[in-house]
Amino acid sequence: MSTSAAHAHPGSGHAHGHGHDHGHPAPGFWSHYVFSTDHKTIGIQYGLTALVFLFLGFCLMLVMRWQLAYPGQPIPVIGGWLPKSIADAGILLPEGYNAFGAMHGTIMVFLAIVPLGVGAFGNYILPLMIGAQDMAFPRLNMASYWSFLPGCVVMFASFFLPGGPAQSGWTSYPPLSNIATSGQTWWLLGMVFLITSSLLGSVNFIVTTIHMRAPGLTMFRLPFFVWAQLVTSFLLLLAFPPLEAAAVLQLMDRVAGTSFFMPEGLIISTKLLTESAGVFQGYSGGGSPLLWQHLFWFLAHPEVYVLILPAMGIVSEVIASNTRKPLWGYKSLVFSVIFLGFMSFVVWAHHMYMTGMGQAISIFFQATTMIISGPSVVILTALLISLWGASIRYTVPMLFATAFLPMFAIGGLTGLPLGLTASDIHLHDTYYVIGHFHYVVAPGTIFAVFAGIYHWYPKVTGRMMNQFLGKAHFWLSFLFINGVFMPMFWSGMAGALRRQYDPLMQLHAETVQGLGVMTSWSAWLLGLTQLLFILNFFWSLKAGAPAGENPWHATTLEWATEYTPPRHGNFAAVPTVHRGPYEYSVPGHAADFVPQHEHA
Amino acid sequence: MTGAPYGRWSPWNAAADGVQVDQLISIIHWFMLVLFVGWGIFFVYCLLRFRSRAGHQASYALPAGKMSKYAEIGVAIFETVLLVGFSIPVWWRYKYDPPKPDRRQEVRAVGEQFAWNFHYPGPDGKFGRTDPHLITASNLLGVDFDNDPVAKDDVVSPTMHVRKELPVYVRISSKDVIHSFYIPAMRVKQDAVPGMEVPVWFTPIRDSDEFRAAIAKDYPLNERFKEKMLRTTMVSMQKYEKGGETIAESGQVISDEIVEKLKTAGTTTVRAAEQDPIQVVCAQLCGANHFKMKAPMSVDTEAQYEAWLKELTTEPQLDLE
Amino acid sequence: MSATIELPHDVTPHPITGMYNGKFGVWLFLASEVMLFGALFSTYVLLRVGNPEWKHGWDLGLNIPLATLNTMILITSSVTVVMAWYSLQINKFDTARLYLWATVALALGFMVVKYFEYTAKFSHGITPKSNLFFAIYFTMTGLHGLHVLGGVVVFLYLVGPGSRMWLTHPEKYTNRIECTGLYWHFVDLVWIFLFPSLYLL
Repeated sequence: MSTSAAHAHPGSGHAHGHGHDHGHPAPGFWSHYVFSTDHKTIGIQYGLTALVFLFLGFCLMLVMRWQLAYPGQPIPVIGGWLPKSIADAGILLPEGYNAFGAMHGTIMVFLAIVPLGVGAFGNYILPLMIGAQDMAFPRLNMASYWSFLPGCVVMFASFFLPGGPAQSGWTSYPPLSNIATSGQTWWLLGMVFLITSSLLGSVNFIVTTIHMRAPGLTMFRLPFFVWAQLVTSFLLLLAFPPLEAAAVLQLMDRVAGTSFFMPEGLIISTKLLTESAGVFQGYSGGGSPLLWQHLFWFLAHPEVYVLILPAMGIVSEVIASNTRKPLWGYKSLVFSVIFLGFMSFVVWAHHMYMTGMGQAISIFFQATTMIISGPSVVILTALLISLWGASIRYTVPMLFATAFLPMFAIGGLTGLPLGLTASDIHLHDTYYVIGHFHYVVAPGTIFAVFAGIYHWYPKVTGRMMNQFLGKAHFWLSFLFINGVFMPMFWSGMAGALRRQYDPLMQLHAETVQGLGVMTSWSAWLLGLTQLLFILNFFWSLKAGAPAGENPWHATTLEWATEYTPPRHGNFAAVPTVHRGPYEYSVPGHAADFVPQHEHA
Repeated sequence: MTGAPYGRWSPWNAAADGVQVDQLISIIHWFMLVLFVGWGIFFVYCLLRFRSRAGHQASYALPAGKMSKYAEIGVAIFETVLLVGFSIPVWWRYKYDPPKPDRRQEVRAVGEQFAWNFHYPGPDGKFGRTDPHLITASNLLGVDFDNDPVAKDDVVSPTMHVRKELPVYVRISSKDVIHSFYIPAMRVKQDAVPGMEVPVWFTPIRDSDEFRAAIAKDYPLNERFKEKMLRTTMVSMQKYEKGGETIAESGQVISDEIVEKLKTAGTTTVRAAEQDPIQVVCAQLCGANHFKMKAPMSVDTEAQYEAWLKELTTEPQLDLE
Repeated sequence: MSATIELPHDVTPHPITGMYNGKFGVWLFLASEVMLFGALFSTYVLLRVGNPEWKHGWDLGLNIPLATLNTMILITSSVTVVMAWYSLQINKFDTARLYLWATVALALGFMVVKYFEYTAKFSHGITPKSNLFFAIYFTMTGLHGLHVLGGVVVFLYLVGPGSRMWLTHPEKYTNRIECTGLYWHFVDLVWIFLFPSLYLL
């Protein structure tokens, strides 16, 4: 691959010839594929790493679902392979169940979804969509990935500790997490790496989006994908540091004997904690377990918007190009996503209603939680109305993108009884909560991620993915994923609690055990279905139909690169933008789309 | 209320204020259904009507969206009504409207890894002093039975006994990590945070007998029933006798022996119910055995409650049942 | 991968923000740092308000004169870094270098004073474990100290191997000094809040 030296000056508009070598040696393997500063390579690195962890995190849950469906039964085939801290004679241990549960959440949120939505899609697509040659800080970008990967390694390695990995939930509430085994310390260290990676990335995204847009690309001509990434970056930038602070404090508690989160007088197994031995070496007291919760949720609530916003961005692009008409309500989409970003910082304590909250604080947080549902509804409605008057092409990405809409609606609507304190009394910490947030991230965000992969795969690889396999992947996934999560609302209403190793131990949950079995089988079948995707992904790399530059006939700039797959520098010359991002079916034009950079 | 207490949407409501929680949940779900069906109809219509086909063109013009604005405003108004008309008043009842001290039962509920212990103040109505240094395996709450006169009539028990129609005021705390005091049937849930003591209150309106009667089933005497007996104590709901000899009384705990005797007598099913149909469980992950952390709650009639108290000797006693 | 691409606004300010890329980036980074130290200050407030028998720093043996000296040291170092930047603006590289070395020396001086403070505590058996005040004291001053060290590392690079950039891209080099200076002012500012919060109030 020749190094394309694009000495284009902004606004010059004329192409330089390529293919002539300016005397630079071709980059070696390491600097081209491993320590690359090119946003596309880094995007792919993030994407592949994240997909591996998405699969791993999913497998953790598949193992847990066996124990949930058939408590006390040895896990078939792989039961014997699990380490001693996780399973005994093939039967999952309670410690193992909790460990897998905590790591499932952690891996899915921090090692899979955010790196996919932001690290992979954001990195690869954003500079292309704004007509830039790379991110504003390419080396910082590389540093961001190389801070992410050690974080992943630390998290993964913690599975092999004698005491197992973290097992106090992804939420790591103290005092439980303070007195937990060493896996928790590794979790905290892993988090520090991951948070650093996010912070470096978010600075890059914001500067790039504001400063590096092609001429003519005003903020209100940006594709909604870019707006979503911009708001997401602000959330990452400002919300993660309090969790970093909290992680430092918990590390101090665990390692240096402080007691930020430990009140005095704790009694473990009839002994006052000052006298206990083990990991915990005694402490001074005076701390507050709720302090951790405030610091954690101050991040973790904006974090869930970090999970959904890139997905909304991806879905918007896929919908626009497959409806062959402009998105409805572009301005309301933009203002809603900005408002959503602001509001996400002031709702965090709705995760803490049951901690002993009084009326005044609960009214504040209920009100903000009700208010934040507004912009989400606006965005969903705008995307729905975008279907009106369309000419919908049911390509594989479009199948996933349209399915996203009702799935996200279910997720959002089921947040309503959780967002009000009185109804939350019954539903807090039950399967209802699990159903609610999974509908948003699983048939929500993950479907959007699939839509994005099917949509941009032709640009990244130059080949089309197989349509038949794609459609089969979609329909089966849609069926099974609803089979996994829909029963949870009924389980939750019956009072079945989450994080329960043996669901038959509690009478009120016994009666909905059948629903749990249905969830488990649906999950295993969902897992099998993903093989279709994995097969398609790798097979198409070699044998997919050649895609050409713009197989979807889309208008946005990423489809106007000089080469497909794009090379270093991206564009023959910096494009100039003459119109908005969704000029489809414009009256008076021969083609049913007018690319953004096409001359007026 | 007819039907089984558990497994049909939400559990039986067994508390006086629980009905308000249920009402709110109900209203919200109807609202959710209306919105979803409304959106859904529009959605499916568009998917079909505007699918790409020969001779069909997308239209560049955007539909004027007055409907969506009205819908948005409607949603906002409804949510405000839910908050102000329902959630706030119910929360007030739960947090600021305790039963009067002269007509309520007092009990402290203390969570630990992995059990609940209940501290009753006894006839004098005052809780004896507790001291963490007095905690032993047989005095889990460290009640100063020896030196505090007020503690002499206190009772510490792993079972929660309350009376029907009498409000109970529960002071919830924890010895070690965060737990959560949760009784599904009473619509009560409160985190037990170490270093804090938070009160909850409720008034049971159904007693355990009613629960058992409603939950009773005819169980086939098979392996599955045996497995269930390993997890839960089952009681017989009727008298079984053969040839003049009583195999099991109504209300008697079913043991393996009784099962064998029933089988020998030719019976294939037994009408049984869980001895403790109402339980206090833990709703916040508290460690490996979090799933096992539960305590029976017995809603007694006056007579049953007095009988329970009498079972314990007059000495300050620990109920190790 | 050779960065033969010229990225826009590397050096020229952007019309909307009025900043070049690096400066915008540093301001964003500082916003995140405000959130980090803000979380710790909030922690301090919450714990102190929730503990009625809170002991004051001066009662617990904190050395106020030494900390005042440290405050002066840091403030002076902020001045020297501005002087370094200004010297570069007027093309006086050697003067700038002197000012940069002065900044490094002052920063290291700050760390030396901190070293004496910490070891004095440790030798009296006072550690973060001792009580909640010292827990927050060591954590916040420790994290701040790490930030000082980070700044020192960057300054050493810029006055050492990184100074070669002055010969090829003087404007870009000056910008780097400016950006590091901005970071340094922030580190100074955090101390200006830490000092009264922990030592005086």
